[in-house]
Amino acid sequence: MKKIVLLSALFTFLFLSCDKKSDAVEIHNWNFGGRPKLIEFLRNRVTSFEEKHPGINVIQSDKSWNMIREILYADFSAGAGPDVMNTHSNFAAEFGEAGFYYPINKFPDFEQVKEWYIPHLFESTRYKDNYYGLPSSAIAFVLCCNKELFDREGIKPPKTWSQFREAAKRLTKDTNGDGQIDQYGLVLMGGDKGGFAYRTIPFFFKAGADVMSEDLKTIKFNSPQGVAALKLFADMYQIDHSITPGFLAYGHSETNDLVSGDRAAMSIEGPWFRGMVSDKKPGKDIYVVAVPVPDDMIDQYETAPTLQDMVMYSINARSKHLNEAWELLKYLRNEEADMFWITQDLGATATTRKALESQEAKSVPDIQLYINELNHARPWPPHPKMIAIASNVFTPYCQKAIVGELSPKAALDQAAQEAQDIISGKK
Amino acid sequence: MKKATPYLLLIPALLFTLLVLVYPLVQNLINSFSDVSMITGRSGWAGWRNFELVFGDSLFWRSFRNTSVYAVAGTVLALVIGLAFALLLNLKLGKLSTVMSCLYTVPWVISPVVAGFAWKWILNDNFGIINFWFAKLGIATIGTTWLGDPTTALFCVMIARIWQFYPFAMVMFLAGIQSIPQEQYEAAAVDGATMVRRFFHITLPNLKAVTSVLLVLGVIWSFNDFNMVFVMTRGGPMNSSMVLPVLVREFSFVHFDLGRGSALSVMIFGLLTSLSFLYLKILGKNETA
Repeated sequence: MKKIVLLSALFTFLFLSCDKKSDAVEIHNWNFGGRPKLIEFLRNRVTSFEEKHPGINVIQSDKSWNMIREILYADFSAGAGPDVMNTHSNFAAEFGEAGFYYPINKFPDFEQVKEWYIPHLFESTRYKDNYYGLPSSAIAFVLCCNKELFDREGIKPPKTWSQFREAAKRLTKDTNGDGQIDQYGLVLMGGDKGGFAYRTIPFFFKAGADVMSEDLKTIKFNSPQGVAALKLFADMYQIDHSITPGFLAYGHSETNDLVSGDRAAMSIEGPWFRGMVSDKKPGKDIYVVAVPVPDDMIDQYETAPTLQDMVMYSINARSKHLNEAWELLKYLRNEEADMFWITQDLGATATTRKALESQEAKSVPDIQLYINELNHARPWPPHPKMIAIASNVFTPYCQKAIVGELSPKAALDQAAQEAQDIISGKK
Repeated sequence: MKKATPYLLLIPALLFTLLVLVYPLVQNLINSFSDVSMITGRSGWAGWRNFELVFGDSLFWRSFRNTSVYAVAGTVLALVIGLAFALLLNLKLGKLSTVMSCLYTVPWVISPVVAGFAWKWILNDNFGIINFWFAKLGIATIGTTWLGDPTTALFCVMIARIWQFYPFAMVMFLAGIQSIPQEQYEAAAVDGATMVRRFFHITLPNLKAVTSVLLVLGVIWSFNDFNMVFVMTRGGPMNSSMVLPVLVREFSFVHFDLGRGSALSVMIFGLLTSLSFLYLKILGKNETA
């Protein structure tokens, strides 16, 4: 009997000591990727949000950027997923069409919030008539040049394709005299299908090629301008041998290692690259310039578009706490928060007018170049199948052309046919 | 009541098995005959269409060929290496044998993902230790591409797989060798048999059962191996090292076509189930022998 009384007392104690069910609303925020500084900033931001909103409890999880699409697809299709998350802005089309994202233009103060941002960047979050997120890190793809190698060779960063090819040729050499090439003009990221597409398409855009027609019904990347862009890479690889031979296996870390280790002179990158290189090799400097243009377009060097990419913060359409999620979204991405993108090197460009026009912005390295490039840059066309086409069709065919398995024209024609079948629903 | 107790006690385990094994299998089978998109969900019965799509895809045949080479050649080579090391360890060199047997089993206990990343760096064209040593020996140069070359990528992943599997084969072979009656060797020695003849006429025949079990197990495990290939090459470059388990992921989570992914996984399941029956048959035969 004593035992029963003791056990009952123990259970009662345990039951009473359990937390009383909180009245606070719980919302989940998933942060994909980001440098440690950004993750720390977001955690602090969430803490201060909770202090200002005692009725809202935020559960923050950090996840890998590499599997973002698979993770979100799996969760969304199961009716789950976080309330708030950061994603690619080009997911707006794919996830917006699927009904996974909540259209933030439905919130009453949307128009006021929209005013915080640079208009053309904000437009990247739109799909059809709806906006699916608040802009975060803007990215314009540029050419990063190893300053030491360029200075040693006495050449300037290229502006035209001829200069680009010539620079790559001159910077491809045997540096230790053992008869083997150990320094290459250009490194391409070929081991990451998406990463490869993002690094080659800026050359297509600079040459005036389109990916799709404006009505998003016809694939157009196999235009003569597109073929010329791909031929440039194929010639550099097959004739000049100025592209690293192992590029098909490279991801971020390999390209960074090659540039930091003076084994490669150029890489097509974005605002993250300066920080990555200096993290790897403190003191290492790079020239950051616009992606070169075809020779006959030199007058458009500063205005021809590169690829624009962006991160945005979105809300799950199935969130049970839409208003609380919207409050968090605004708090994470308001003008005050965006200043952190100016005062710290987060590997991306700020997106609000206030941050970009601030006094502090003037001392940020390369910012004027990025602002200028972003003013003219174009995102991938907002088609729900675009990401899949870029990674699974465009990349493999372009790689075949570069290594010589197919001619650039044949590769792009075959890729275009396959992509056309996808968008027309045949495949 | 007493009679029912054992069955009642089995219920939790049965329920667990139903939940984590039978339910996913049945669901996968249903998906393979359905139009399933991760966006729209199941939209209807597809009959054999998903299977036809898989069979009609040239990438499937390429992956099938790669997987077969990876599984069969990789396992055979791992067995040869495992046997060689088992013979070495059987020389009974005192404490040295103990130390060496511990060292040789290290690859087996390392997680395949960690091993995959380690091999990726070992084989790195510019900073990898392989090229460093090969350059010193004059075999290759710094910058020689291994994982980035479509002709060598699959072979490199296979080496990593062999490196991981051979310790298991070694341990099994060592146990097999040590269970061979010494009298057979003594009789052969009296008859003047050389070491080579003893190996081919005593050791190898006695290891027949272990070898068949290892061969079947090795092929099953390698056929099903996702981690090593995914970490090292993701099936690239240009699909040159694409294997069936990675292709299932491509269909299901890159193209988000669960129907096609399920159809392929049902095919792999069927093949591996047949191999498992073969394994059980061999095992049963060995036990009765």
